[in-house]
Amino acid sequence: MPEPECEEALDRLFEYIDHELPEEEIHRIGEHLKTCPPCEAEHKINEKIKRLVNQTRHETAPDALRQRVLDAIRATRETPA
Amino acid sequence: MTQHADPAADFEVEALSYMDQLYAAALRMTRNAADAEDLVQETYAKAFAARDKFTMGTNLKAWLYRIQTNAFINSYRKKQREPKRSDAESVEDWQLAAAAEHTSSGLASAEDHALDSLGDDEIRRALSELSEDFRMAVYLSDVEGFAYKEIAEIMDTPVGTVMSRLHRGRKLLREKLRDYAAERGLYEKTPVKPKQEKKDGGVCDA
Repeated sequence: MPEPECEEALDRLFEYIDHELPEEEIHRIGEHLKTCPPCEAEHKINEKIKRLVNQTRHETAPDALRQRVLDAIRATRETPA
Repeated sequence: MTQHADPAADFEVEALSYMDQLYAAALRMTRNAADAEDLVQETYAKAFAARDKFTMGTNLKAWLYRIQTNAFINSYRKKQREPKRSDAESVEDWQLAAAAEHTSSGLASAEDHALDSLGDDEIRRALSELSEDFRMAVYLSDVEGFAYKEIAEIMDTPVGTVMSRLHRGRKLLREKLRDYAAERGLYEKTPVKPKQEKKDGGVCDA
């Protein structure tokens, strides 16, 4: 069985990574990660995956789509309800 | 052009500034470019028709994502016939599942290194293989940086469900990345089974 501190850290790891925890808990978990290499390893892996996913967006909207949207907006402007 | 303090123009400019992001999200939802374009166009049509309902100064980006998510559910999900998974997800479920343990340190560091060698395409593929709810929760958090509360509003679901989707989606994603790394020989998925070697017709106990 993992230690209670480990259990808390691993349970809350995603919330920790996503900045969804109150200050006090961030501090407590942060302190634990500094002293527990296995928990820190889990933290690093999950944080890295989040970063890798974050870097996958490169798409830009095609010009034709942009034009269609602009045309549609213009049309609604010209025909008042 | 003269300087104006025209709220309608502000709305328009800000709304249009999110088009690349909405399109990228639409691609993750529909998984095809033609449908993604139609979805974004529909999103803007609906947003402009309902602009009076939007309060300037509140989160326009989240509002647009909400409209797009609804439009997707109503028009495309049915068409695509992706079965709505009933993952029977509940908070208790992931809390139980999250009684997590440490990975052995050797494996963890091998996994960490393997991740560095994976390409963008593999990360995208892994994400695209997740079921829709997991995929979008992970996307909205990791790519768009929405807070849990915003994701809950966008997906019209309680925050607990968002957390459950993130937990499970990320766990699955990590497993897929491990698999890809293992396929490429970057990571050994041990110590599940000892290597089986067929020796002079001996029985292979799998």
